[in-house]
Amino acid sequence: MKISGKWIFTLLLTIFSVSLVFYLNPGGPLRILGNLLTFAGIYALAAIGLNVHFGMTGLLNFGHASFMGVGAYVTLLLIPHAAGREGEISENGLPFLSALLIGIVAAALFGLLLGLPAIRLRGDYLAIVTIAAAEIFRLLVRDLESITGGVYGIINFSSALQKYRPLFFDEFITELELAPAQIWVGLLSWVSIFFTLIIIKRLNQSPWGRALRAVREDEDAVRALGKNAVWLKLQSFMLGAGIAGLAGVFLAFNYGSVQTTLFVPLLTFYVWAIMILGGVGSLTGPIFGSIIFWAIISETDKLAALIFENADGQQLAGVRFALVGLLIMILMIFRPSGLLGKKEELLLNVK
Amino acid sequence: MSNSFIRIDNLKKTFGGLKAVDVEHLTFEQNVLTSIIGPNGAGKTTLFDLISGFQEEDAGEIFYKNKNITRSQPYKISRLGIVRTFQLTKVFDRMTVLENLMFSGSSIKNDSLFNSIFKTSNNKKYEKSLKDKSFQIMEDLNIHQMADSYARELSGGQKKLLELGRSLIKNPEVLMLDEPLAGVNPKLAEDLLEIIQNLSKSGITILMVEHNIDAVMKISDRVVVLAEGSVIADGLPQDVRSNPKVIEAYLGTVND
Repeated sequence: MKISGKWIFTLLLTIFSVSLVFYLNPGGPLRILGNLLTFAGIYALAAIGLNVHFGMTGLLNFGHASFMGVGAYVTLLLIPHAAGREGEISENGLPFLSALLIGIVAAALFGLLLGLPAIRLRGDYLAIVTIAAAEIFRLLVRDLESITGGVYGIINFSSALQKYRPLFFDEFITELELAPAQIWVGLLSWVSIFFTLIIIKRLNQSPWGRALRAVREDEDAVRALGKNAVWLKLQSFMLGAGIAGLAGVFLAFNYGSVQTTLFVPLLTFYVWAIMILGGVGSLTGPIFGSIIFWAIISETDKLAALIFENADGQQLAGVRFALVGLLIMILMIFRPSGLLGKKEELLLNVK
Repeated sequence: MSNSFIRIDNLKKTFGGLKAVDVEHLTFEQNVLTSIIGPNGAGKTTLFDLISGFQEEDAGEIFYKNKNITRSQPYKISRLGIVRTFQLTKVFDRMTVLENLMFSGSSIKNDSLFNSIFKTSNNKKYEKSLKDKSFQIMEDLNIHQMADSYARELSGGQKKLLELGRSLIKNPEVLMLDEPLAGVNPKLAEDLLEIIQNLSKSGITILMVEHNIDAVMKISDRVVVLAEGSVIADGLPQDVRSNPKVIEAYLGTVND
């Protein structure tokens, strides 16, 4: 890894963000840091999936939340859980790992299903269709109450994953006065990031990754050279959707319960913000983008409390998003390729 | 008829009320350098689009080596050996020159997701040979010093060369060049003409749309003139040049 200016800047900004947690929470910084890193890991994973779509292939996917949702719902419904208003219990289910694999495959297949009619659309049109499809998915899940628990959602599924938590892990984490269940989810998501990035890196440098970049650059030329651009785009769509599905599962386990409100378009926009922050098309960008993003989200209320006296929760929430927006605007002006993106491969046409 | 490489029958394409292409019968023979000329809006590029599958015809049929390729997908037509370039050069801007060529030359099997995850030694060997082949082509076209530059950093002329090279690495049987000399300086145009002539000699069937009439007359074996979508003249360059219909529709008054 070449140590360049952008790396130094990114690392400094990340260290600064994390040190804010310590500075602003003298009482118990570790607990907040654990929470932050868990969220950061899950969202970074989702952003890595989105980066396959947009960074590698140039697909404007604005329905990322639905891929996360499909992964989460399919996995949770296959393991022991309770769902719906009455909390109807399904005691039988698959072991977590096989349910997870099916969930990931289901998310990828949902990508294929959505992609088959939509992937021929270019640019903005794909964005419109994907955001609409994601809303259709969410409303369907809400209305199919007998299967998905509807607005009441799914609960009591955590033990399927938490029972694999080793004892020494519990002892170690409890000693740090952290919640072992959450840290376990966080740890698994970071392990997933590690292995996902190894695969993505390999693919990036492969003929397949090269073909995706060519599709991103000029689809007509790709077709004129005898390559099936539609199939390449569908494959990319499925891979990114599968990664998003995995992230969705971790998101559900982090909350311990899941409702349809979890998979609103806002989730997609968060993931987009993280990807843009970190650098579109950059391999490790989503990781740093995610940590910085969540540091801002979790610390702005305290920052704002320093500035504004007697601000209430709603006002603080406003400040929070204003700050995220401001950060992205500043970034777009001074570093339009994001923290770790390549200037030469700038994907967002801001000048 | 049997030696006609590409055959077009009753081909029609209209845009709204505008007749873009209306060709009753047209054939292109193997290993003949054919130029298609005509005024702007004569349907030259539309004809190219129809042959290469980028647009769907309203009526008519196109055959390549007696195989019906009407309404085939562009990538399928390309895999049969008909490779085209574009009027507005389409290089992969944010990929290097080398990547542009290697992508184009790579086989479908080599591009597959499976092979890309489980890279075998065969895959690596293939990539290596692809790289060598790309460098060979870059040297032939004299753009090897730009191998690691992003394609968007190339000059307009170099982009034309890259696009040509990207087509050549596929060993096409038919090469369709849409205005290969547009926006190219005279010296490079000269070189490009020589390259195109050599390609023709090496056995590639070339169809070329070009406005540089002197260049067309110099290198073509045959010239087809389109006006308002139809063929108004077809023959040897010198015959076409003196054809009164062509002079009226396209060339204007000739001074000699």
